[in-house]
Amino acid sequence: MKAFFANLWKHRAHIVMALPGFLILFFIMYVPMAGLVMAFKKFDYQLGIFASPWCGLENFQFLIQSWKTFVNMTKNTVLYYLLFTVVGTFLNVALAIMIDQMRLKKAAKTMQTLMIIPVFISYAAVQFIVYAFLAKDTGLINNSLGINVSFYSKAAYWPWILLIVKIWKDTGYGSVLYMSVLAGIDTSLYEAAEIDGANKWQQIRHITIPSLVPMITVMLLLSVGNVMRSDTGLFYQVTRNNGILYSTTQVIDSYVLGQIFKSSNFGFPAATSFFQSVIGLLLMLFANWMVRKIEPENALF
Amino acid sequence: MEKTAINAPVKIKNGMKIQPKQIVGQTILTIIVLLFTVFCFAPVLLTFISAFTDEMTINQNGFSFWPEKWSMVGMNSVLKYGNKLFTSYAVTIFVTVFGTFFGLLVMAMYAYSISRKGFKLAGFLSLFLLIPMLFNGGQLSGYMIFTRYYGLKNSLLALILPLCVSTMNVIILRTYIANSIPGELMEAAKIDGAGDYRTFFQITLPLLKPSLAAVGFMLATTYWNDWQNALLYISDDKLKPLQLLLVNIQKNISFLLNNTNVPASVRAAMGGAIPQYSSTMATVIVVIGPIMVVYPFFQKYFIKGLTVGSVKG
Repeated sequence: MKAFFANLWKHRAHIVMALPGFLILFFIMYVPMAGLVMAFKKFDYQLGIFASPWCGLENFQFLIQSWKTFVNMTKNTVLYYLLFTVVGTFLNVALAIMIDQMRLKKAAKTMQTLMIIPVFISYAAVQFIVYAFLAKDTGLINNSLGINVSFYSKAAYWPWILLIVKIWKDTGYGSVLYMSVLAGIDTSLYEAAEIDGANKWQQIRHITIPSLVPMITVMLLLSVGNVMRSDTGLFYQVTRNNGILYSTTQVIDSYVLGQIFKSSNFGFPAATSFFQSVIGLLLMLFANWMVRKIEPENALF
Repeated sequence: MEKTAINAPVKIKNGMKIQPKQIVGQTILTIIVLLFTVFCFAPVLLTFISAFTDEMTINQNGFSFWPEKWSMVGMNSVLKYGNKLFTSYAVTIFVTVFGTFFGLLVMAMYAYSISRKGFKLAGFLSLFLLIPMLFNGGQLSGYMIFTRYYGLKNSLLALILPLCVSTMNVIILRTYIANSIPGELMEAAKIDGAGDYRTFFQITLPLLKPSLAAVGFMLATTYWNDWQNALLYISDDKLKPLQLLLVNIQKNISFLLNNTNVPASVRAAMGGAIPQYSSTMATVIVVIGPIMVVYPFFQKYFIKGLTVGSVKG
């Protein structure tokens, strides 16, 4: 024990340096975790979360009463997560490899610069750009194809629209992380493979992709904790939070955000939030456990 | 020397043999990447073109890459925001600059501390950093805590604090410290009599520059683009950042579309009819423009600075 405090004293400067970050994490991230007890309270804003009276599982009855809404937004949240993660990871890796393989380095660099731009545009702005393409009368797609589809009133189109917007916004930047790994591969590996007569495909399959696997695993694992969370802007802004489209576009986060603005009864949103956080945690622990079974090296903890 | 002597002939031989095939391959590759570039950049280009397109032309022919008639009306209408635009710029710039420098300093210090060998609290602090990525309170609880207990409604702190420390960014900084800054350098500084603070500020921080540039730029973009916290916490006109200008345009559009019998006086107060296409696009450009201008200067740091290493450390 004495040795422990001696160690702390020796590292007092490091404790001081970590302190601001510690306090911010504590007040911004940890205190709201305690706020999740709201799901078990009859919430009264005047009293605040902690002084509001307990109400047991009453709030969770709302989940059953509004079962359809609840199931719909949970289903959307999970399916979009899977869709975006699978397609996104594949495209990020493919694009990184393609840019890396290009011989015209200058052209590759310029194209990459242009590709990254969309990631810097907020969804509040993106929704106007999407509107320019999809609007019924003035939209570029309807006009250039000579059709007259009202995209903003048919829910069935939106999984595709959102996927395309997501690819457009994030792929260019997403590939950068993988390019940083590719830049670190020892070139003598490729030279050796070439001497041994391996063609480009074989080199990619046996050198490039295996060296990307650890990074892919880390990125996937980091994202598993967000299964129940979504890119709120994509679902709230790009769809213009349009009620007609909810069957395919409402996710938990956009629902909760909407409720904060209009609701006086926070019971259902609170129960939903609680469910969201807990399921997220369980999935994360499960995924990490799986990875540890298969490849302990790549596990998070 | 010897190595090149062995390699060179092989390369030439292979090169000669595979060349035509390689040219085909490279051409196909370049075309695919080029198409994707067009896909990414065309919408951005359309935004710029629409901002300079005549309003009547958009109404009649729709949005187009080759408008019949150009016009400065859209851009001029942005100036009508007057003081509001000026205030919003000031708020956004303040939050972005202050938040980014503050966040970088706090995160760099945290990353440095938890990467010190022999520091008994390092393990605990790493775990403390990691947990929020696994479990968090969500928006609703955060909103209640921030407004009810911290009194952050209509405070710029509500825009700065939630974004300034993120687990991912600390991990990136720590990885860079662990992999790219030689530990001997810091030990040598210590032997020469530099204290812990001096070692950090004069040795580590300057060497951390590429990573700080990459993380800092991403953090700055996050601040610049944050509409959600602004929408939740800011209702005072004097504190509204740029993104809320865009959100408000959208609010006005849906309000006017959903309520056809709005009194003329209300319409007039909202700035006339439904916000026009070209002026909306001009506003979009005013909001995203500064990042587009600054971004190329930071791009070179991306690949070097953004390596995510093992989270375990």
